Amino acid sequence: MSFLTKEENLKKILKITFIIYAALGLINALFFFNLELDGVGERWIVEFGNGGFLGSINPMTLIMSFAIIAIVLLFAKGVKFERIPGRKQSLVEMLFEYFWEIVEDTVPVKKYRKITFVISMSLFIYITLSNILGGIPGVDVIPLKDGLSVSLFTNPWYSPTSDLNVNLTYAILVLILSHALAINHKGIGGWLKSFIQPVPFLLPLNIISEIAKPISHSLRLFGNIMGGGILVLIISYMLKYFVIPVFLWGFFGWFVGFIQAFVFALLTIAYIGSVLE
Amino acid sequence: MDLSAMLEKLVNMEGGAIGWGLYYLGKLLGAGIAMGLGAIGPGVGQGFVGSHAMDSIARQPEMTGTITSRMLLAMAFAESTGLYSLVIALTMIFVLP
Repeated sequence: MSFLTKEENLKKILKITFIIYAALGLINALFFFNLELDGVGERWIVEFGNGGFLGSINPMTLIMSFAIIAIVLLFAKGVKFERIPGRKQSLVEMLFEYFWEIVEDTVPVKKYRKITFVISMSLFIYITLSNILGGIPGVDVIPLKDGLSVSLFTNPWYSPTSDLNVNLTYAILVLILSHALAINHKGIGGWLKSFIQPVPFLLPLNIISEIAKPISHSLRLFGNIMGGGILVLIISYMLKYFVIPVFLWGFFGWFVGFIQAFVFALLTIAYIGSVLE
Repeated sequence: MDLSAMLEKLVNMEGGAIGWGLYYLGKLLGAGIAMGLGAIGPGVGQGFVGSHAMDSIARQPEMTGTITSRMLLAMAFAESTGLYSLVIALTMIFVLP
């Protein structure tokens, strides 16, 4: 039987973790520091066949994406929905309710609310998890001129959202989905008419604004995560990976990551809602 | 002329000191100017957002939670133009030939 309450236990665990981390960091900085600041912003790319755009893959992105999907599935399997909600169930219900209210406010057509909710919610969960993994120390693979360098627990995990391919895929998915819903709702004639809506003179501007949507949508997330990662890498190199990186990981990984995931999901809802009007 | 071909011609001329000097001058100066000028706009925008949020919190202290979350959201939007210049600066430093 434990005499400590849960909060005190957590505080104790956090203190012990921090002391262990500081001691390990001191040992690392004093004795084992021969890391070169090489390959910043580089990606591990495997080419096969002819190479080029279609013949190359980014293995870390694939591995981490599958890992995140597996984590989400395991968590979803562990939630039991009962009449008296447990801790996990009330967390999930709170999150879903918050998003459902936003969807109800934004999407004008009742028929399409469910699909908007599902898409935005799954994007939010995936992006939040992958951003948060970028704030936890783990395995990172960086290509050098001769082979790969695998860093264990000095850099955070590789987060899939720091790869522009992932973000651009989701942004284009949202664009195509929103226009498909608009065609379904208004018919092709009505959809084409919406491009010349105030006056026909504005047709090029409308087309450009539609094309600019996925670009700004994806580059916002990419710039935040990637820029934060490079900033943390350079500052922690200057301090020889002493105590400071913990706070930087906390800020850029958890805080910025959570806000950017929320912004991404909110913009998904807003884009779908704006096309359906 | 292609950018990399032009660079090769400059580098192969007279030991390459002028070529490499011009290359690094343009690359680093361009990245610095892009980041520095691009950070002005988001800074001003985020300052406006924060000041108005403080005003409304002072007027209605019971709305602090809602206002803070909306403020963070608006700040994330205001940040995005600065991030484009960050992306361009990083591209100049890391991706240029």
